[in-house]
Order: sequence, then structure tokens, then C-alpha cells
Amino acid sequence: MIDFFTIEPVEIEPTDIIKRLDHLVRTTDESVKRMVDATIPHVGKYEKTLIESSLSIVGALNTIYKIVRHYLLTGERENNWILIMQLQFQMPMIMKLVNTYHEALDAFSTGKPIGDAAGPLTVHRLIENGQVVSRRVVDETSIIELYYKDRRVFVIKAEGPGSNVGHPGAVLNKLVEDLKGSVDLIITIDAALKLEGEETGSLAEGVGAAIGDPGPEKIAIERAASKYNIPLRALVVKMDLREAITVMRKEIFEACYKAFKYVDKIIEEETMPKATVIVAGIGNTMGVPG
Amino acid sequence: MADGIDAYSLFLIVAIILLIAYLLMDTFTKKPKKKEYITRELLKCVKCGFTVEKEFEPGDFIGLVKDKCPKCGGDLRVEGIYSVEKEKILKPGKP
Repeated sequence: MIDFFTIEPVEIEPTDIIKRLDHLVRTTDESVKRMVDATIPHVGKYEKTLIESSLSIVGALNTIYKIVRHYLLTGERENNWILIMQLQFQMPMIMKLVNTYHEALDAFSTGKPIGDAAGPLTVHRLIENGQVVSRRVVDETSIIELYYKDRRVFVIKAEGPGSNVGHPGAVLNKLVEDLKGSVDLIITIDAALKLEGEETGSLAEGVGAAIGDPGPEKIAIERAASKYNIPLRALVVKMDLREAITVMRKEIFEACYKAFKYVDKIIEEETMPKATVIVAGIGNTMGVPG
Repeated sequence: MADGIDAYSLFLIVAIILLIAYLLMDTFTKKPKKKEYITRELLKCVKCGFTVEKEFEPGDFIGLVKDKCPKCGGDLRVEGIYSVEKEKILKPGKP
């Protein structure tokens, strides 16, 4: 199961590439789920999501191991010391990545929230502070309708508290279509990789879809916003790769309170009372319910 | 210099000795310890707002009602789960 792979779609023919990529991503997810289901049928849904994510991490570690072994054995067999030397120089970076993945296994095997859950946690605070009207789950993604400061707010996040990223882009697109485009503002909140020197948990605001998927979800948000001319705002919480996939640091947890206040400010400044707003918390929702 | 060591060789020997000394020092110098993190969870009373930080237990998630408030008897709910540096955890000290 750890050798499972996905072949990327043909890029030199761009027609329908998003549709093909989306199909492959969904087929991969479904296949892994089916394999886990067949292996451990009596385990609960929540535990299964943790196992699926742990398997993908073990798969990544296995791939790194096989690539390093390949170059080492090739270098030895061909007596190519330059190749081995290059590998030796890259080993500190490779080991850093391997240690990060290894450390991430702790979070995924016990269901602790990871740094990437900053988006779902921020919108969770919004749900707690609003007056919830309805909840439904579409495509492993929760849509929570609530009233907040006299605005009709739709919160979109992956269904929790299992390890799940959902399909926020596709669901947001469908929601905008259901509302016939009568949406005044879309806000996306996600974790973003910081540059060296930037502070963990610092916030940055911008325009666009804050989502780091391979493409299908991001383009769905952009298409929905551009079709109906809806302002698309983005808020990101900065962290490095280690912090994004290991247990959420306290700094990031505290940054989610600040991010919530920031979302509140954007809603108040950008919309009038009675407006309709969509707020999407992007990221893995492990440990965060809703 | 026809006999003995010429200046170039002397310079090379000194350079090699310095390099070996530097490598030995670098090997035996204590490197900074890797930071150790442990996972904590913040429990908050939904009634009176009393908060307490405890050790994380597998299976817990944010929003889970875990305990009763020692002050007012209200529900103690998991407000957050996060990792903190082991050395930074406040331990109950002597008065």
C-alpha cells in the first residue's frame, strides 16, 4: 500500500487538465480509502482517516528511502564518486525532511491538530461566536450557515475532527451557484509557508484564493468569484513546513484568535449588514470538529 | 632552501594541522540541544471561563466536553490542543 502512486495528467495538452487532475486526485483518495476499508473493516471512520494520512506519510518516507538508495547503489556500482558526493552534500536537507515527516507521524497517529489546521480552527472560532442556523456535509466538507453581526455567513471547512481536507473549492463553487451568485464577499483562510526570518504565527492579508491544493480546488474558487464578480480576500497564517505538518505550536494556536479578529474586521469593513459572506477555512481539520 | 623544509611545505603542514584542530574542535564542541515539545490541551469552563492546561490524551479534540469545572461545576471543554517547549511549561512551585 505504501508503494501506491498517482501518474500526473498530460501537461502538453492543457484542454480539460483541471478536470483530469481532479478526477485523478479523487480516484487516488477513493482507492486509498477502499484499501484501508478492506484491510481494517471494523475500525471507526475517525480512526480510518488517521490511518489513511499516516499511510501517505509512510509512503513519502519510503519514496525518499528508495531514491537515496538508488543513487547510492548506482554511484557505488558505476564507481561514480561525484554522484555519491552530491548525495552526501544533500543528506542534511534530506534528513531534515525525513525527520519532519517522522515527527508528523506522532500527530497523525493520535489525532492532534497540526499547524495546517489554522484555517479550520479560525473558522471554528467564527462558528462558536455566531448564531448557527444549519449544518450539512457535502463531499466530506461541512457547510455551516450562521448569523454573525447581522450578516448571513456560510462557513466552509473540511468535515472534522478526523484527518480530512475535504473539497472546499468544489463545495464553495456549488454554494455560490446555489445562491445564484448573490454573495458579497468570499474570504479564504489558510496556513502558508513562511520565509526564513518571518515569525511563526504572523498574519498576512491579501487578495485571491488562499489554498495550496494541486489546482482543482483553487481554480473552482477563482472561477466562482470571477463569474459573479465577488471580492475574494485571503488571510494566511505563516509557519514553516515542520510546523505545518506537526502538532500545532502554541504560537499558531494563539494566531488563530488573531486571525478570527481579522476576519471579523474584514467582514465589518467590507460588507454592510444583511450581506452574505462565505468564509472558507482551508487545511487539514484533524482535531477540529464541525 | 635546498635542504630541510621549504616555506611552501611548512605553510601546508601548518594549514593541515590547523584544519585537523578545527575539525576535532567542531566534532567535540557541544551542539545546541534539539528543542523538545510536548502536547498540552487547554480546558475552559463554558460557564465561568475558568481555564486549566493539562496533558493531551489520545482521542481528545477541540470542543470535546471533558470534565466538570472545579469552581462552578459547569462543563470543561477542550478549547485548544497545542505543543509547547518542555522547558517552558509552568510547574506548580513551592509558595
